[in-house]
This record gives sequence, C-alpha cells and structure tokens, in this order.
Amino acid sequence: MTDSLRTGLFTGFVALLILGTGFLDNWNLALVILNYGLISAIMALGVNLQWGLAGLFNVGVMGFVALGGLASVLISMPPVAEAWAAGGGRTLLGLAIGAAVIVGLVAVYKRMTKGRARNIILLLLTVAGFFAFRTVFDGGVAAIESVNPSLTGYLGGLNFGGDAGRDWWWMPIIAWPVGGLLAAGAAWAIGKTALGLRSDYLAIATLGIAEIIIAVLKNENWMSRGVLNVTGLPRPVPYETDLQADPGFLSAVQDLGVDPTTASTIAVKLAYAGLFAVFLVVLLILAQRALHSPWGRMMRAIRDNEVAAEAMGKDVTRRHLQIFVIGSAICGLAGAMMTTLDGQMTPAAYQPLRFTFLVWVMVIVGGSGNNIGAVLGGLLIWWLWVAVGEYGPDLMIWATSGLHADSALKASLIDSAPQMRFLVMGTVLLLILRFSPRGILPEK
Amino acid sequence: MEFLNGLVFLTNFVIVPALAYGAQLAIGALGVTLVYAILRFSNFAHGDTMAFGTAVTIKVTAVLVGIGVTLGPLPTALLALPVGIAATGLLVLGTDWLVYKFYRVQKAKPVILVIVSLGVMFVLNGLTRVFIGVRDIQFADGARFVITVQQFKAATGLDEGLAIRTTQAITMVTAAITVAALFWFLNKTRTGKSMRAFSDNEDLALLSGIDPDRVVRVTWLIVAALATIAGVLYGLDKSFKAFTYFQLLLPIFAAAIVGGIGNPVGAIAGGFLIAFAEVTVTYPLKKVLTYWLPESMAPEGLVQLLSGDYKFAVSFMILLIVLLFKPTGLFKGQSI
Amino acid sequence: MSDNPYQDDRGNKDRSITKSGGGTAQPVAKGGKTSPAPGTPFLIGDSMTGGYGKGPDILHGCTIAVEPGEIAVIVGPNGAGKSTAMKAMFGMLDVRSGHVMLDGEDITALSPQDRVVKGMGFVPQTHNIFTSMTVEENLEMGAFIRRDDFRDTMAQIYDLFPILKEKRLQPAGELSGGQRQQVAVGRALMTKPKVLMLDEPTAGVSPIVMDELFDRIIEVARTGIPILMVEQNARQALEIADKAYVLVQGANAHTGTGKELLANPDVRRSFLGG
Repeated sequence: MTDSLRTGLFTGFVALLILGTGFLDNWNLALVILNYGLISAIMALGVNLQWGLAGLFNVGVMGFVALGGLASVLISMPPVAEAWAAGGGRTLLGLAIGAAVIVGLVAVYKRMTKGRARNIILLLLTVAGFFAFRTVFDGGVAAIESVNPSLTGYLGGLNFGGDAGRDWWWMPIIAWPVGGLLAAGAAWAIGKTALGLRSDYLAIATLGIAEIIIAVLKNENWMSRGVLNVTGLPRPVPYETDLQADPGFLSAVQDLGVDPTTASTIAVKLAYAGLFAVFLVVLLILAQRALHSPWGRMMRAIRDNEVAAEAMGKDVTRRHLQIFVIGSAICGLAGAMMTTLDGQMTPAAYQPLRFTFLVWVMVIVGGSGNNIGAVLGGLLIWWLWVAVGEYGPDLMIWATSGLHADSALKASLIDSAPQMRFLVMGTVLLLILRFSPRGILPEK
Repeated sequence: MEFLNGLVFLTNFVIVPALAYGAQLAIGALGVTLVYAILRFSNFAHGDTMAFGTAVTIKVTAVLVGIGVTLGPLPTALLALPVGIAATGLLVLGTDWLVYKFYRVQKAKPVILVIVSLGVMFVLNGLTRVFIGVRDIQFADGARFVITVQQFKAATGLDEGLAIRTTQAITMVTAAITVAALFWFLNKTRTGKSMRAFSDNEDLALLSGIDPDRVVRVTWLIVAALATIAGVLYGLDKSFKAFTYFQLLLPIFAAAIVGGIGNPVGAIAGGFLIAFAEVTVTYPLKKVLTYWLPESMAPEGLVQLLSGDYKFAVSFMILLIVLLFKPTGLFKGQSI
Repeated sequence: MSDNPYQDDRGNKDRSITKSGGGTAQPVAKGGKTSPAPGTPFLIGDSMTGGYGKGPDILHGCTIAVEPGEIAVIVGPNGAGKSTAMKAMFGMLDVRSGHVMLDGEDITALSPQDRVVKGMGFVPQTHNIFTSMTVEENLEMGAFIRRDDFRDTMAQIYDLFPILKEKRLQPAGELSGGQRQQVAVGRALMTKPKVLMLDEPTAGVSPIVMDELFDRIIEVARTGIPILMVEQNARQALEIADKAYVLVQGANAHTGTGKELLANPDVRRSFLGG
C-alpha cells in the first residue's frame, strides 16, 4: 500500500466515523466530536513535533493546555474595574517583587564566588524576599477577592468590548495565540532548567510543572477565580438565541425546512468547526513545511544521531529547547481554543489522563513523526473516547440483557460502563504498540 | 515548657504525619526504583498497581469483616494484605507475560517500554475503577489511636497533646519491616545479589549464568508486594480513591529521582525528604513559632508558607533544587 | 533510525524515565542441545562464519583451537575479528556456519549460560566487572551456577590475587584498572572452568601492570587450565604463546607456535613493526 493511499484510506475512515455519527445518531453530537477532535488534533500536532521530531518526552501537556485556557480568560473576559481599583496595583507590585527576588538570586549565584558568604546571602535574600512578596501580594489578593466574590472576585480580562465583552467578539481569537505565547513562556522556563541539567530530566519536570500550573489555577482566585470557575466567556461566533431572533437566519432555515432551534445550534457548531479547521490547516501546513525544510532535516539528524550532529557543530540542547517551546505553544493554543469552546474555565476539569496521556495515545496511534498521522490520530481517538462514553452504557445494557434484571453483577457492570473508556484507550495503545509500533501512518 | 509544648505541637501536626506519609512514599518509590534498576524504565503504571492491590485488599477486608474475622485493635486490612499482594503479583506477572516480555525479546529501547507502561496504566486504571468504583473508601477499622491527645496531656502535663493514630504507627512499623526485609534480600541472598548484578551489568550477568527471566519475575513479584503495601498503608492512613493513587505518581517519582533513581537507599531518603517538605511548607506553623519565639517576635499570620494545594509544587521544587546541585540525586543513582 | 521499530527511541535519553546501558549481547537462545564430536581438539571453533544480528559476516571460515595445558593467543590488526571470534566461540553471537566443540561435544547450539555450565569461562574486554558490587560479591556472582561450597575456590583466587583479598569488601568500581582486571579474571575462575577465554586482558593498563597480569595468566595456565586470549600487544603475547593465530579480515592468516610466528618475516613486517 502506498503512503498516499494509506493516508487517503485513514482520512476516509475518520470522516466516515464522524459522518456516520451524524447520520445514524445526531448531527449535534457529530459536530461536538468534530470540534473537540479538531482541537485534540492540534494538541497531537504539538506533541508530535516534540516526540516525533525530537524524541522529547513531554508528559505535562495538561499544564500547557491549561495555560492556554487561562489566556482565554485573561484576554477575552471583561475587566473588573472595582477589583483593579481595590488591589490590582498591589498584586502586580507583589508579583514584581517576587520576580525581582528571583532575578536577584540568580544574579547573586552567578556573580559571587562559591562559598559560605554566597550561601548566607542567598538564604537571607530568599527568606526576606519571600516575606516581602507575601506581605505585599497577599494584601492585594485579599482586596481583589473580596470584590463581589460570588460573581467576580478576580481581576478579569482585557476585553473592553461592552458589558460582557460581546461587542469585541474577536477577542477570543486574539486569546488563542496569546495562550500559545503563555505556554511557550512556561515551556521555555521549564525546558531551560530541565534540558540544561547535566542529564536530561524533561519527563519528570513536565509531569511536575503540569501539576503546579493546575494548582496555581485552582488556588489563585484573583487571577481566574480558581475552583469557583469563570463562566460565560465571550464567543467568536454568534449566540444561538441571537440567530433564532435574526430574521435573515430564520428565513434561510425556513427555505431548508429545518427546525430553527436545531439549525441555530448546528450553525454555531459549524462556525466553530470552520474557525478551528482554519487554524488546524494552517498549523499542519506550517508543520509539514518545517518537517521538509533544512530546519526539519537538521532536527531529524539530531534525533537520529545526536553525537554526529553535535560533532557537526549543532547546538543540540538549544534545538531541543526550541522545539519543546514550539510544541508546547501549539498545545497552549489548542488549550485556549478549547476554553473558548467550553465557554468556561474549570481548573478541576484538567486531569492528566484526559489532557496529557490521551494526547500521547493520539500521537502513537496516528504515527509518531507523521504530522498527518497525528492529526488523524487525534480525531480518531477523540471519536473513540466520546463513543465509548456515549455508547458504552447502551452497549453494556445490551450485553448484560441476558442477566437477571436485579442481579448485582448486571448493576455494577452497567455502573462501570463509563470507566470502560480507560480500558479501551489502554488496549488500543497496547495493540498498536505491539502490532504496528510506528502507528497507523508511519513516518516516511 | 514553652519549648516542649512547641515541640509536641510540631510533632503532632508535622513530624508524625510526615513520617507516616514519608514511609508510604518511600515504599512506593522503592517499587519504582526497582523496576527502573532491573527493567530500565520508569513504570507509569505504578500508581495504578498500588490502587489495584489496595482495591483487592479492601474487597477481601470487607469479606473478612462480613464473616466476623477481625484483628481486634489492628485494622483487618492487615490480614487481607497477603491476598492483595498475591493478586497483584499474579496481575503484574500476567502483564509481564502478556505485554512486557515481547519487548524484552525485541530488545526494545527503554523509552518504548515507558510508552507501553502508559498503556498498562490506562488499562489498570480502568480495571480498578470497574472493579471497585470511583468513590472514596475508608477501610481502616480497629482502634483509632495508640495514644490520644487526652492520654498524652494527662501523662505529661503539657498544654499541647500528641496523638498517634493506629494507622500511623502501623505504617511506620510495617515500613521498617518491609525495608529491612528488602535490604536483607538484596544484600544477603543469592537471588537478591543476582538482581543487583543484573541491574549493574546485564551482559556480564548473562555470562555468569544468571537467568534474566528469573530476575525479572522476582523483581515484578517484589514490586507487586511493595506497591500493595504502600497502597494499603496510604489508604488506611488517609482513604482509598482510585484517582488519588494515580496522582501519587508525581511525589513517588520525585522521591525516587531525588534520592538517585535506581538506588533503594535513595528512594527511602527521597520519600522522607519529599514528605517532610510537603507537610512543613503547607502546614500553618504559627503556633509553633508562638511557643518558640519571644513574645515580641510572635508572628501575626498563620505562617503557612504555601497553601495545601501546592504540595505537588513543593515536591517538584525540592527535586529541581537537588538536581541542580547533584545531578544524580542525593545518593548516586542508576544502580542497586 | 533503527530497522526494528521497537529499538527506535528517537534519540530520547531522558534519565528521569529510562536507564541507559542495557545489554547488547545477541546470544544463542536457550534450549539448544549438544551432540558428541569425538576426536576433536579440547576447544575448537571450526571454520566459523558469522556476524552480529542481521549485519554482514565478520568471520569468514575462521578456525581457533586450544588444547589442555596450552596458552593460545589470537593477534591481528584492528577490526580483524579477534574479539568476534572469541565471542562466537562463547555463543555471544550466531555462528551461521561452522561448529564449536568442547571436550568431545558439539556445543554450537548452546546458550552462553549453558556453555558456562559446560566449563567455559569468559572475561570480556570491557564492562567485565560488577562495579557497584564488592570484590567478594563479584566473585560470588562468578560462582552463581555453583550450588556447592565454593569457599575453597575463592581462597585460591585470593592466593592468586592477594590484593583482592585486601580489598574484598570494597566496591569493585573503586579499584584501579589492573585490580579491576584481576577481579574480572577471578570472577571467571570461580566456576573452576575447564578453559578460560580472555579478551584483551591488558587493554588500558600501564606497562608495569601489564607485565604483572601476564605473569598471573601464566600462573593460571600452570594450574592446568587452557587459556585462549586475544591480545593487542602482539609481541609480548606471542612470547608466552604455545599456539598463536593471526587473523586478518575474519580469516586465519598465519598459525603456528608463538616462537614460529615471532620469527616469521611476514608476521614481523605486518604486525610487529619489522
């Protein structure tokens, strides 16, 4: 089978799954799967750059995705003026103090010679800096969080477009690349540290940073309300209610003979799908061009023979850092898109199995090192994830129909059907690794 | 008196909980470190192996309690523990036979095994959830305390009390026995030494007539025992929830790596270091300082350095600081 | 990129999740049987052809033999297949054609572990000790296949290498190069082998230590154990050799006693610098 035939068949199969869901079940579900699938595909593209092209083991995808989500809040939500007035300046000052202390620590460490004097100064600076930071920062935070805590209690975002930010409907789209930048910044800091150590500790570092990012998001209410969640994020697409009130839309729907409510929900989802698809296609083209550019060839040369590449004067650590930052930025971008699609920011929803390891399954199943494989893997695995959750219980009821109606086994099997997702994902991953270790679309 | 009160307070709220938590992490990290040393990869399924062993133990405990068999003041789970270990042993041997063995024959690179362990992690995670559900389960029975606050206050006449829960005492005793047994096994028995030899130099072990398959089997069995013990101790001390066990992976990995991954002594040191750091940094120390510092310097705030949610951040910061200064961990890693 | 997808690690060398330096040997699989081969030399690799894995042949019909009481030496230029010939005789790689016979038995199909049981002792060129284990534990591991009391053997080895007795509780990785080689030889002697194979025992040690090691090897040979040895240091090796093989490109180029080869003008010109 040629590569292009294989790619074509795989694309057709994934399309069939999603269209089949639409035809056989309902189009709303099919479009929900498609939208989240497109976002998953972007995440898979990011991880595939890191793992496929550079062999970097990033198990902190969740953290970068969540940072993207944070960007959505910080950019697309309207600002809370009272909160800014109450403690905005003080909080930012506190953060500035914290940053200054860290810069100072690094400077002292680098400038002073090794010895007791340096250690003492470092220790004193740490303790003094920490308390100075906490004193200023905590006061500001308390002031912000006391502003109408049930509704706001945080600084809000930068969307000055009207009350709910609806007038500036394009702000969420601005937020997506900003999410990428935020993730890139975090990735740079963590990569600089973890890849700079004498041996490579990226896996544990990313595992840790992801948990830390989630802890910050859950805790720092002044920033994004923590576990109180931010809801009602502005949309880059029309609202269903607005469409249903729009005479132009209604007459168009009437011509098609569809119920306006259903039509409006589908139209909104289609609009999202279009937006996401544009981003995905652009990223995919960029990734493909990068792969076949001199830069991509160099990355593969480093991956396949690091010693030789190093001998030829390539700065391997720097290249690794570069690709780690780019891959994480793509994950951040996808994370921002997802929070916009969700319409809310819920830090407690970020689970490593779903946001880190599932993306890994997508990449490995699709084909490590193959961008198109990763994208299709993302759509396929996402469809499977939803399908098992959606149809699993029905399937279980059908499978256990032979059992007595009030048998305990039957009840527990039906109860546990939602948990089958994990079993299925693990089994798929293990089967692919065993029988098709290069994935469905192997790297050329 | 002030000093003693402060010390007792600190012991009660920081030292004793951290010792128990540290012992649990240490046993967990020992399992991770053994797999790393012998099979050469970090097992992402370890947290879920712990969860599975604990789940089996909980089910058996329920059966035992149901037929009226208990251990008196001790938790019944201790009686069920051997069954849990045996079931987990069968599970990991089965997994090895069905999954990992193929990759050993292929001489697969360790990072491929890491990805394989991600698959095993998903499967075990689903299996455990299907088996026991996702609820929070308390399964500690028997006496709740070895020493209660009142008893302690009455005995010592101090203002502050010290309570030691049965589960904490059991954790420390079991951990001590487990660690002693493991070290005796690794350093004194022929099989244990052959495991160390295999970890040190696979080819030479082969030349010496050491059977790699046997080494791997024994390793998995020990890992199953360690995982189940760690999981049951943690569950007795706190509670059982499948998802929490998965999340223990980070502090356990951090402990193993801080200590020097592949080094059992390091795993134990790392476990306690991480536990103490987490508990100290996230506990409000106001009262201790009020006792210890002169009145004029008594703190106003709670002196809780970081909120409890940041405990993972603490594990991670410790890890980073240690690695910056000692790249192979506290004890030289990569060997047992 | 490797041909085997399971061996493709994409250049990942993340120390927090993977341990480097796994086994590299591709030994003959377990479960092979021997067949009688009477009338052959004590140990012989007879017209061996083979290489590593699916790679090209390195040995081309190479024959090496050693008889009881002898020191046999393999010399030759870099890349001649000296170590490979030795490994082939020990079952560390597949011999595609040819046979290995020991003490009247064809052992070609035996795994290295089974060859140890049959009485072969092998000291690899590098990574030949357990660095994290004590000297004594190294010797114990050498005796792993023995279920009888091996304290006598250990005492004999301590007599042969007194410095090891002194350092017996030290991790072997902390010893000097010459001492490490003694541990390596001692480990191989713990099985009381019927034949000892040494792959460049003097690689990387100073000339004084080298002399001492040669003396020790002669001492071992005097106890009646035949020795087959690969040596880089051709002149010194030929001087102590009862039998010597010169390999070139995986095939026998010259064979004779050590003295004969030392006197052979071809050998002198090519390998001994005139």
